[in-house]
Amino acid sequence: MKVLALALLALFVAHPARAIDAAEREAILLHGPWPPEATPDPSNRASGDPAAIALGQRLFFDVRLSRDLDRACASCHLPAQAYADGRPRGEGLRPLDRNTIALANLGGRRWYGWDGRSDSLWAQSLHPIVDERELAASGTLLRDRLEREHDAVFGPADDDEIFLVDIAKALAAWQETLVTPRSAFDDYRDALEAGDAAGMAAYPVAARRGLSLFVGRGQCATCHFGPSFSNGEFDSVGINYFLGPDGVDRGRHGGIAALLASPFNLLGRHNDDSARTTAAPTTHVALLHRNWGEFRVPSLRGVKATAPYMHDGSLATLAEVARHYSEIDLDRLHQDGQLTLQPLHLTEAEIADLVAFLETL
Amino acid sequence: MRHATLAIILFAAGLSGGQALADQPRFIDAHVHYSHDAWDRLPPEAAIRILRDAGLAQVFVSSSSDEGTQRLYQAAPDLIVPVLRPYRNRGELSTWFRDPTAAEHVEARLKQYRYAGIGEFHIYGADADGPVMRRLVQLAKEYKLFLHAHGDAEAVRRLFAQDPEARILWAHAGFVPPAEVRAMLAAYPTLWADLAFRNDHAADGRVDPAWRALFEAYPDRFMAGTDTFTPERWYYIGEHARWTRAWLADLPGPLAENIAWRNAATLARWQATP
Repeated sequence: MKVLALALLALFVAHPARAIDAAEREAILLHGPWPPEATPDPSNRASGDPAAIALGQRLFFDVRLSRDLDRACASCHLPAQAYADGRPRGEGLRPLDRNTIALANLGGRRWYGWDGRSDSLWAQSLHPIVDERELAASGTLLRDRLEREHDAVFGPADDDEIFLVDIAKALAAWQETLVTPRSAFDDYRDALEAGDAAGMAAYPVAARRGLSLFVGRGQCATCHFGPSFSNGEFDSVGINYFLGPDGVDRGRHGGIAALLASPFNLLGRHNDDSARTTAAPTTHVALLHRNWGEFRVPSLRGVKATAPYMHDGSLATLAEVARHYSEIDLDRLHQDGQLTLQPLHLTEAEIADLVAFLETL
Repeated sequence: MRHATLAIILFAAGLSGGQALADQPRFIDAHVHYSHDAWDRLPPEAAIRILRDAGLAQVFVSSSSDEGTQRLYQAAPDLIVPVLRPYRNRGELSTWFRDPTAAEHVEARLKQYRYAGIGEFHIYGADADGPVMRRLVQLAKEYKLFLHAHGDAEAVRRLFAQDPEARILWAHAGFVPPAEVRAMLAAYPTLWADLAFRNDHAADGRVDPAWRALFEAYPDRFMAGTDTFTPERWYYIGEHARWTRAWLADLPGPLAENIAWRNAATLARWQATP
């Protein structure tokens, strides 16, 4: 009993931000531990294979993946910028509609891309290769250029489509290894779990206040929860989704339609998981009215390095993101469809705290 | 008959987006808004083109402000069924029922223009007994208009308590399960329900058994609608019409026609001229 009292006292006095009650402690602990244990993707026989990982890493930087031999995956996913590009919207052979998504912590997700049009990392890795606005290549073209490297890892492919998928699987195998390092938040979280007052005290005071907002009044953790700070799903958060003068980005609605029509989804012949357990979410995904204009709830790990933000890169800084949610326009949300998002009317000091917290991820 | 209808739907789905779809099954969209934030992006001509491309026979339009509805009506009086919203901008959604000038606004517009209904307004619980809401119920009775109410069952009950003969279109069928919708329809013979922004009644062109039973029990009470609560959702109107026609094809022809347009036409009793 005496030990417990001392431990509680330590929690309350260790940090000047404010005391932590049991509910807040539990909410914080849910965002770890980090890093997660790496588990191979059953749908990708190259997942975890060192030779495939090495091939995928080389190909990521190889212009032979582009039709005109002038671009690579790394032309947009820049290693120095967390594998994003710092632009509001991507620039391939032609301008793209969405922000270039950063590449990290990609293993084990259910859906990929801003609209979730892929149910595996390898299928998502295939899209830019064949998209006419991006690398504009094809399975036939890649086979002409990469057969030796491919066959050394996968053996001969029966057809060009399988060849293309194999290349995408090698790219996915390497991208699965991109994991953000432990952060100041992780140190704080683990110290909290261990009752390590000194460890907790090392966490910046402003970040601690921001964390309280994040898991408390802000309700940010309702969607950005778990070790990756994302529920892995999609939502509408009041961001404009017009595209040009006469159209819209359908978001998740278009993503589901594309997913179900794709020969590369996990229901198809390219899924290496013979048990097909990986295909269960795809089997059950349903197209809903609310999906129109919904976009991925992104992971917040390493978010400091991935500006600008939102699906269209329309918010330049984390402070702008915090202000967007703080003063969210409820008219842009359906009255009965979205109950979590409410204007918070944060002070500038609270916004600074929230940003300070996000920058520790 | 069902297969013939489905064949038309499948054929229409294969047409290009901008092509007129006049041969599609008749359909009235009972839940569209054309609010101020849509006017610049979608001028009336562009908005009407979207409605016609979707093959809609008529469209119930209510807007914040009503100016949007009037603009559309002027552009296509054959297509638009005006419904008067009490909001002068969309920001009044949760405050209007405490604002006496909202009722004054409705009264003034009713003297100036013709409407089929008053709504869609948002009202919950005891707020339905406030003086502003009461005045709207009186005006609906006086002008013989239906009320398009977005709210809970309690609010709807309170509206009927004020005028047992009121004709009320329950937006989104209250977002309550079919059993609760059934209870309300049984209790109030002049209650209709729109199915806007709901997915639980149908999936992949098939009607849910509980909803099918409800449609069969109350074939004269349901209608469908898109709910364009943001301007971007105007681009969903065509997709929604396709989705709706697909699940309607899973119902017997007369019942499908009722939900597609006949119930809406009956409720609106719309006449463009006095």
